[in-house]
Amino acid sequence: MISSASLRMLGLCVVVCSAQGCGAQRVAAPVADAAAAEKIRAGLIVAAPAAEDGSVEAAATGTGWATLKGRFAFAGSPAEPKPLSVDKDTEVCGKSAKLFDRSLRVDASTKGLADVVIFVRKSSRVKNPVPAAPLLFDQKNCEFLAPVFAARVGQPIDVHNSDPVGHNTNVDGTSFNQLIPAGQGTTYKPDSEMGAPKAVTCNIHPWMKAYVIFRKDGYVAISAADGSFEIADLPAGEPLEFQVWHARSTGSGGGVGIERPELKWNPKGRFLITLQPDEVKDLGTLEVPAAGLGA
Amino acid sequence: MGKRLAGIFWALLFLAVPVFGVATFAIAPAYDHWLPKDVSEHGASIDSLFYFILALTGVVFVVTEVLLFWFMWKYDAAKQQGGATYIQGSHTLEVVWTIIPAATLLFLAIYQMNAWADVKMRRPAMAPTVEVVARQFEWRLRYPGRDGTLGTADDLFLVNDLHLPIDEDVLIQLKSMDVLHSFFLPNVRIKQDAVPGMKIPVWFKAREAGEFDIVCAELCGWGHYKMKGRITLEPRASFDAWLERKYAEQQTTQPPPESPGDLAASN
Amino acid sequence: MNRHLVVASVALLVLAAGCGKTPPASFRLNMVQATKTAAPDSELNTSWTSWSRERQEQVATILEALFGTPDEPVALAESGLDEAKLRLAAGPVRSDIVGRKNGLYREHCVHCHGISGDGMGPTAAFLNPYPRDYRPGKFKFKSTWRDAKPTQADLVRVLHEGIAGTSMPSFALLSAGQVDALAEYVRYLSIRGETEAALFGYAEQELGSGDKLPTTREFLVGEILAPIVEKWKVAEESQIPVAAVPAGIDFSLPGSDLANRESVARGRALFLGDGGCVKCHGVTALGDGQANDYDDWNKAIVEVSKEVAGSLETSRTTSTSGMPAEKLAEYRARAEWLHAFAGVLEGDALRPRTIPPRNLRLGVYRGGRRPLDLYRRLYTGINGAPMPGVGPSGPGAKGSVADAEIWHIVNYLRSLPYEFDGELGADRPMVAKDRF
Repeated sequence: MISSASLRMLGLCVVVCSAQGCGAQRVAAPVADAAAAEKIRAGLIVAAPAAEDGSVEAAATGTGWATLKGRFAFAGSPAEPKPLSVDKDTEVCGKSAKLFDRSLRVDASTKGLADVVIFVRKSSRVKNPVPAAPLLFDQKNCEFLAPVFAARVGQPIDVHNSDPVGHNTNVDGTSFNQLIPAGQGTTYKPDSEMGAPKAVTCNIHPWMKAYVIFRKDGYVAISAADGSFEIADLPAGEPLEFQVWHARSTGSGGGVGIERPELKWNPKGRFLITLQPDEVKDLGTLEVPAAGLGA
Repeated sequence: MGKRLAGIFWALLFLAVPVFGVATFAIAPAYDHWLPKDVSEHGASIDSLFYFILALTGVVFVVTEVLLFWFMWKYDAAKQQGGATYIQGSHTLEVVWTIIPAATLLFLAIYQMNAWADVKMRRPAMAPTVEVVARQFEWRLRYPGRDGTLGTADDLFLVNDLHLPIDEDVLIQLKSMDVLHSFFLPNVRIKQDAVPGMKIPVWFKAREAGEFDIVCAELCGWGHYKMKGRITLEPRASFDAWLERKYAEQQTTQPPPESPGDLAASN
Repeated sequence: MNRHLVVASVALLVLAAGCGKTPPASFRLNMVQATKTAAPDSELNTSWTSWSRERQEQVATILEALFGTPDEPVALAESGLDEAKLRLAAGPVRSDIVGRKNGLYREHCVHCHGISGDGMGPTAAFLNPYPRDYRPGKFKFKSTWRDAKPTQADLVRVLHEGIAGTSMPSFALLSAGQVDALAEYVRYLSIRGETEAALFGYAEQELGSGDKLPTTREFLVGEILAPIVEKWKVAEESQIPVAAVPAGIDFSLPGSDLANRESVARGRALFLGDGGCVKCHGVTALGDGQANDYDDWNKAIVEVSKEVAGSLETSRTTSTSGMPAEKLAEYRARAEWLHAFAGVLEGDALRPRTIPPRNLRLGVYRGGRRPLDLYRRLYTGINGAPMPGVGPSGPGAKGSVADAEIWHIVNYLRSLPYEFDGELGADRPMVAKDRF
C-alpha cells in the first residue's frame, strides 16, 4: 500500500518533469567562436578597398592543344533495367516504346558504360568560341531523348517538345521551368556554369528524368553507348583536373572512383593530368567497379 | 493592549478597501485609464448606463464597506464586555434587503432595453456596406463593387484596413472563416462575436471622423493578441474617393513608374 | 516535519530551475546541410564527429564574422545592406534613445520564420503552408525573372499585403520605415543563408577532411559573398516586361460581361489546350490534376531523407563479418554518420508536405489578385514551386505563349470563381459568393 505522502511526492515530480516540456529536440548546433569571428571581421574590413574580382583565373601557361580520350567499362554485370511507372497521358506516353530506367546503361557486348560525364574543372585557355547555333534538347514519347546532355554557358538551347501533349521542362538549380505546349519549343541560354550535372524533370510526368551540365569552357564529354569519350582542343602544358561523374555513383557528389594510381585518382572522382601540345592521350579502358555505382 | 491594536489594524485594513477603490476611480481618468473616446451615436446611451450602474453600485459599495468598518471598530472583542447577542433572524430585514435589490435590477433591465434594441435589434434596412470576415489572425474585408452587390466579380478585397463613412448608417456583415472571434470596435462601442457558420449583421452610425482600432475580443489562438486592425471613419466624399482609388489599384495591369519610397504605389 | 522539508526543497529547486537569465539569441546553422556535407569519404583519418564538428564551427565563426549575431547584426560594405535598418529590425524588442521601437523582426516575424530565417520558428509546425525559409534565397511572389531575386518593392508588397490563404499577415498598419527595415532584415537573412550554403558547398567540393576554410578577404568577400550580393543588386533591373493589355479586355467589368466574352473564351481555350495547365490544375480548375509534387523547400528534405533511408537500409543489410580492418572502420564511420544525419532530419526539419496545385475557383490568390500579379505568375511561373512559366525564360528568349495572349488567360482566371460549372452538378455551386 503506497502512502498518500509518497503519492503526493510522485505527483509533484511528474508536474516538475512535464513542466520542462516535451517535443522533438533539435540537434545541438555548434556555437560560433566570437573572438575568432572578431579577428576575421577585422581582417575583412582593413584590407584593400579596391573592388576585388571574384574569380581567380588560372594563369595561362603552355601553348598548343591536345586531345584526351578513353573508354569507360563496367566491371560487373548490370541488373535488368526496371520499367518506369507511366501513369499519366498513357495514350501517348510509352506508346511507341516501353520506358525503362536509363540510369545504368551498359553495352552488352563491350561492357561499355554510357552516360559518364567527364569535364575539366578549371582551364586557363579555351580554343573555340561559344557556338551561336542552338543545340536541340528534345523530348518524345514522354522521355527526354538525351539521358545526359551538355552545353556551354551562353549557348542557346532549343528546348523542344515533339509530343502531342504538353510538358513542363524543369532544370534543377537554374530555375528554368517552362511550360512547353505540344509541338512547340522555347529557347534557353544558360548564364552560369554548374559544378556537377543537375537533373532535368517534368512536373506533369514525374518519371521523366535527364541530366544536364553547363560549363563555361565546354570541355565536357559524355561517354557513348560503348563507353568511349573524347575531348579535343584541351589546353596543353598545364595541369588539368578532370571530374568524372555518373548518375548512379555512390561517391560524394556523384564522383566515380577508379583504381588508377598514376592519375592520382581522388575519392571525389577527380584526376590530374598534364598534356603535351598535339598529344592524343588515350587513357585506355577505365574500369568502373560495380560497387561504385551502387549495382 | 495587543489585542486592541490588532483589532484596530484589521478594521483600518478593511477601511482601506473602499478608500483605495474610490480613489482609483477618481484618479484613473487623469491617467487616461478610462473609457475610450466614443464617436458613435448609440455610444452615449451605453456610456450613461455604465455610469448609472457605476454610481448605484458605488454608493452601495461604499455604504456596505463603511458599515463593515464601523462594526469592526465599534464591536471589537477587545473593547466589548460579554459575548454577542443571538437573534433568531429578522424577517423584516430579509424582505427589505431582497425587495430593494430586486426592484433595482428590474429597473435596470427595463431601463437598458432601448439601448440594447438600438444596437442589436433595430437593423437599418440597407445592403451591407462591407463584409468583415474574421480569420486567424486578421480581418478580411470585402466591399461590394460598383454593382452594389456582395459576391460578384467586381468586389473589392482588402485586409485589416476598414474604412467607413460617418454621419450615416453603416451595416457590416460579419462572418468567421475558422474559429470564434469577436469584432470589437472600442471607440464605436460595438462588440459582436463572429461565429463560424453565421452571418451576423452589425450596424452603427459614427458622428466623428478619425482612425481607431479594431481588436479581437474572443481568444482565437496563438495570434489573438496581434489580431489588430484599423478602422478609418471619414466623410462620405473622402470615403468614396478612397474606395475608387483602392478599386483602381485592384485592377492594375502595369507596374507603376519608378517612384521609390512611395509605399502606396509600390509595385 | 521531514516531509514538509522535502516538499519545500523540491519546490525551491523547481523555482531555481525556472528563473535565471536567458542566454542571448544566436543563429543556428543549417544543420541538414552541415551534417550532409560532413559525410565521410574513404580518406578518413579521424572519426567523423570531430572534424565535421570543427568544420561546422568554422562555418559558424565565418558567418558571425560576416554577419554578426541576431542582437548585433553586421553589414559589410560589400553586402549592400543598410546597417541602420538592420539595427532597427534586429535584437530584442525595446525602445531606442529616440523612442523608436527596435527589435521588429523579433516582435513580428521570429515566431514563424525563426531566428535564422529558417521557417522553423515555434509556431511553424502548426501552419499550413509552412513559413518561408529564406536561406536558399528563393522567393515566390515577385516581379522579376524566375531565377532573379525580388526587388525591394516586391518584399515591401508582400509585407504590406500579406499572403492571402496563408498565415502570413498583412503589416500595412506598420509605418513605411518599419516595413523597410523588416524587408532589409529578410534580405540580410537570405544573403546569410546563401553564404552558408556556398561555404558548405565549397568545403564539400574543394576541401579534404582536415582542411580549414580560408578566411582571406579574396576568398570570403571575393569568391563567396560577391556573386550572392551581385544577384540581389541586379534584381532592381530584372523586372519582367509587361505587355500592354490587348483590345477586347476590360478588367473593370466581370468576365461574363459582353465586353470580355471573346477574351475569356480565348483564355479558356489556352487553359484547356495542349499546354498542360489542366494536367495539374484539373479540367475543372479545382486543382485536382495531381497531388504528389513538392516545392523546392520540401523536395530538398524529401530527397535527402530518401537517400539516407536507402543508405541506412544498405548498411543494415551489409554483413560485416568478412570485412578487412580499414573497410570495417570506414563502414562503421559511415553508419555512425548516417544515424546522426537521420537524427538531424528528424529534429531539424519540418515534416515535408506536398504542394497541391492551386484551386483556381476559390478567388484566393497568394501572390496578389490584381491582373498584373496574375500576369507575373503566368509569365515566369512561381520560383520554388512546380508552377512553370509560359513566357520567355529570360530576356531575348521565346516563350510558349505570346505576351499579349497571357492577358486572355488572366481574364479567364478572374472569371473562374464566378463561373457556374454545370458539369459538376447542381449541388456544387462554384460561385464565389457562396464561399469565403
